[in-house]
Formats: sequence, structure tokens, C-alpha cells
Amino acid sequence: MSMLRGFLILVVFFLLGEALRVLFVIPVSGGVLGMILMTFTLMLRGRVSDDLASASQALISVLVLLIMPGVVGIFFLASHFSGQWLAVSAALLLGTFLSVLTTLLLMKCMLRMTARGGADD
Amino acid sequence: MTELISRFMALPDVLSASPLFAIGLTLGAFFAGNWVFARLGKPLWMPPVLLSAVILSAVIAVFTIDYVRYQEGAHWLTLLLGPATVALGIPLYQQIHHIRALWVPIVVTLPLAATMAAVYAVVIAWAMGATPEVLASLAPKSVTAPIAIGITEQLGGSVALMMGGLLITGVVATLFVDLLAKWLPVEDERIIGFALGLNGHAIGTARAFEISHAAGAFSSLGMGLTGVFTALILPLVFRL
Repeated sequence: MSMLRGFLILVVFFLLGEALRVLFVIPVSGGVLGMILMTFTLMLRGRVSDDLASASQALISVLVLLIMPGVVGIFFLASHFSGQWLAVSAALLLGTFLSVLTTLLLMKCMLRMTARGGADD
Repeated sequence: MTELISRFMALPDVLSASPLFAIGLTLGAFFAGNWVFARLGKPLWMPPVLLSAVILSAVIAVFTIDYVRYQEGAHWLTLLLGPATVALGIPLYQQIHHIRALWVPIVVTLPLAATMAAVYAVVIAWAMGATPEVLASLAPKSVTAPIAIGITEQLGGSVALMMGGLLITGVVATLFVDLLAKWLPVEDERIIGFALGLNGHAIGTARAFEISHAAGAFSSLGMGLTGVFTALILPLVFRL
């Protein structure tokens, strides 16, 4: 019962997110808007109820199952994107290499700067 | 007797008309994939989702199951991605105290790095002549799957291509973080964890939890913030 009660809260927040998306023509999915609403609500309340914790853990633990039908599609549309696989691979490999490098260097510099300047913290 | 045989021959058609057939197929492949993953010694370069998807695709292809009908049935499963995305707000809230402790580096790095993760990929693909549909599918490549599906649908990309890109990005981001952290060098586990989550979403986060709990917490944080930030920014940028 506890998990179902938590699930109801998640569904209500999802529907709230959908309502916001439609009302204000926001180009962001209802799920993401619901997640942001959820995070802010929890910050205001300051704690997570057991109902919500058990429902969210259950859903997050089966995320892989939920995204599988989407992954399967890739094997059935190979011909649709023929001729673009080189561009896709280069973007994924080189792009990821560059973005990992950017993140590591930025974080390293920022941590060093705040460690030096943050003595008065 | 011949009647029984003819009814038996029609059985696959009758059963596969129910969404429960697609759900059962997906669940079966999910457990099979996890079993193979454990048998292979949990390799980092071969996440269970990829194994499960390969098994599922093989079953669909071998038994010539109608792919469109499968997707219609599986829609009953993917519907749950909505509330599952909302559920990601709970671990994000639980990581909030890390933001408070290190908010300056995070606030500066996150928008820049998350934007560049999308920009590098889109610019490289665009320079090599990829179509707008492909660009829209590549843009959310560093975002965790449930959020990325929402983004791609908003941008008009292909969810299937995006999912493939997402998987490859997660795997190579994990390899590159290990490699570059040694080479630069970066020893702070919080930075390594943050980079894993920001670039490699859930696959990177799985690796981060193997390094340490602190790395895992920062990876979850990086993954969550990248997802939210990218979901808010990309659709606005793509509109221009």
C-alpha cells in the first residue's frame, strides 16, 4: 500500500508538470517539470516520506526495463540513417572526449580557485 | 485434430495482439540480459541495458514478431517513464547538501560543461553533414535516458538513434574519465565522480559508485543537474 501511495504522488506531480507544459507552452517534457516541482517541494518540506521513498526506489531500480523498448529501435532503423554513421560515431567519440576533458579541467581549476579564495568561508 | 492444429498455428497471432505479450518479452529479455551480464563478470564496456536490448532484438528478428505491434504493446511499459522521471527528483534532493558545500565550482562548471557536451557533438556531426533529425537525436547524448527521451521528442529527433548514442556516450565517457584523470592528473574523487555523471549519465554513475561513495554521490548530482539544465536549455536553443 505504501508504495502505491508514493506512486500516486509521483503520478500527480507528473500530471502537474504536463499541465504546466500545456498551459505555458513550455518546450520541456512534463516529467522533467514534475521532477523540478518535486525537488523544490522536498526542499521546502525538508524530508522525504517513506511512501515516496519506496515508490521512487522501485521505479528507479527498473529504469533499464523502461528504456529497453527505446533501445531496441536502433536495430530496426539502421537503413533510415545510412550514410550518416561516420558523422554520428565521430560526434559521439570525439565529442565525448572533448566534453570529459572540459569538465575535468573546469572542475579542477574552480576547486583550486575556491580553495585559495575561500579561506574566509 | 486438424482443427486443433490450425488453432495452434493461429496462436502466436492471437497472443501477440495483447500488450502483455510485449511486456512479457521485454521482462524476459531484461532478466536474460542481467544474467549474461553477471556471467561475463559485469564488464564496464557492456552495460546490461545493451545486452538486454540485443537479446530482445534478436528474439523479435528470429521469430519475425511485428516490430510496430511490439512497440505498441511496450508503450504500456514506457508510459511509466513519466513518473520515473519525477522520481529522479528524490535522489537529486538528497544530494542537495553537496551543492551547498561546493556550490561555486558546481555553479560555474555545470552550465558550461553540460552545454559543451551537447555543442561538441552537434557541431562535429553538423560539420560532417548530418541531417537536422540526427542532430536533434545527438544533442541530449549526455543526459540520463528518461529525461533525454523527453528532450528528443520535444526537438523532433529519433528516440531510437538517441538511445544508441546515449549508450555509446555512457560507455566511452567512463573510459575517457578514467584515462584523462590519470593523464591530467585529477585525483579528487569528487571531480572524477562529477565528470562521470555529467558526461556519462547512469552508466558513468554506476562506475562512480565503484570508485567510492563520495564519487557516486557527486556523479548522481552531476547526472541530475545536467539532465535538468539540458532539458531546460536545449529546446530553447533549438527553437532559434
